[in-house]
Amino acid sequence: MRVTLATHGGLAAPVLAGLPPDVVDTHALPESAAAELSRLVAAATEAAAGAPEPRRRAPDAMSYSITVEEDGHSCVLVQSDTDMSPEFAALLRWLKEHAARE
Amino acid sequence: MTSEFRHHCITPPYLLERLLKDVDSEVRQAALNTMLTTAHLRGERAVRTAFPGVATPGNARRTIYDCRNTTSLPFAVLARSEDGPESADVSVNRAFDMLGKTRDFFQRVFARNSIDGHGMRLDGYVHYGYEFANAFWDGRQMVFGDGDGRVFSDLTGSLSVIAHELGHGVTEHTTGLVYHNQSGALNESMSDVFGAMVEQWTLGQTAGQADWLIGREVFTPQIEADALRSMKAPGHAWNTERFGKDPQPDHMSKYVNMPDTYEGDWGAVHYNSGIPNKAFYLTAATIGGYSWEAPGLIWYEALKASNSETRFQEFADTTYRKAGELYEVGSAEQMAVLGAWQEVGISITGVSAGLARARTRTVGQNGDATAAVRALTAQVQELSRDVAALKGRVTAGG
Repeated sequence: MRVTLATHGGLAAPVLAGLPPDVVDTHALPESAAAELSRLVAAATEAAAGAPEPRRRAPDAMSYSITVEEDGHSCVLVQSDTDMSPEFAALLRWLKEHAARE
Repeated sequence: MTSEFRHHCITPPYLLERLLKDVDSEVRQAALNTMLTTAHLRGERAVRTAFPGVATPGNARRTIYDCRNTTSLPFAVLARSEDGPESADVSVNRAFDMLGKTRDFFQRVFARNSIDGHGMRLDGYVHYGYEFANAFWDGRQMVFGDGDGRVFSDLTGSLSVIAHELGHGVTEHTTGLVYHNQSGALNESMSDVFGAMVEQWTLGQTAGQADWLIGREVFTPQIEADALRSMKAPGHAWNTERFGKDPQPDHMSKYVNMPDTYEGDWGAVHYNSGIPNKAFYLTAATIGGYSWEAPGLIWYEALKASNSETRFQEFADTTYRKAGELYEVGSAEQMAVLGAWQEVGISITGVSAGLARARTRTVGQNGDATAAVRALTAQVQELSRDVAALKGRVTAGG
């Protein structure tokens, strides 16, 4: 499974626009980390299914798109600072912590 | 196959009650803290409203909450209130102080009582998220991250950023400029205008003395960037190997077209704000003196006279009209506005470009003298205040 995090907008939108997305491949992770990432992805995907549209565009809020690719299928989860589920927040934190360690 | 889900989440009271019964003790404690905080604040409101004349919670009272590095505002804990003691947390105190400075600016300069003009509470949330390199206004409160410590510092360290976020609230409660394309870029620009004015007002700087940078303190020392944006020189705030060059345009000929999507910064709102930003800077620099006086008043009145879909041309025309109403038709102030918009590629409707150039040249010559007289007047007023203060001290000392 390949997971890609792209960050958009925010107070420093033009600064961040120049940065490449963070990519994680579970094949390159230790087994326990790969299992944890898979669990977080499944929880975030389940929480997002059937959820209502975001209520508004909040000035300077950031949006995050997390693309999950597996077995020829891809799924994109998009949430922002003002409408983030706890499950999405947990996945986002894991990806940011992983990127900071790389 | 590609699918896209979006999710919206708030924590209603019934959910908090359910969380009180959760098997996880930390979840139960967090829910209890939130309910206690809410009850405490409700209690404050009830008590205060029972005493007419006492400051009410709506009297632009500041409350700072600590998100404890989560993304949940309902679970944030009360860190400092208007009447409460100073916090041991520097971010909490900075947010509290800077919200106060911004509140005072709007009260004293524009006689505006808080964000909504009716004493709206000022709620700030600090330590939001994990390494969150951002600050935003969510329609009710201001939220600040700690930065990642590598590129971005703690966002509460910048007065211009805090005033910028509060400025979004002011715009929302005046015109509600829709956050996309030109109206969104104007929304962003107004927040930068407020951010710059609050900082200059706090420091007592004239337009000539100020550096006109927004978010000077946002980057860590390791990053070679002056600030997030420059109102004086849009497109020149940063130029680094890692991020590239500041892409803000300073002229309509360089207008940035991006999609009206989250990926396109809602039509490049943080990019094209450089154009009206430059127009405000040029107006302030031409008039001279303090930006929050004539230039600020003209922009503020133009904002109030705008609507949710106002674009650059309409806003420029409104500033020109307001300058004529507030000062005089053909005054130095109105000509400064005319020349500023002209310089960023926007001609005021009904004024020919040739006439505009001729007028601004003439006023530019006279404007130097006018600005000099204003600066001298300001210095005399400052001296008078110092003398009065000294007299007071002598009298008090006997």
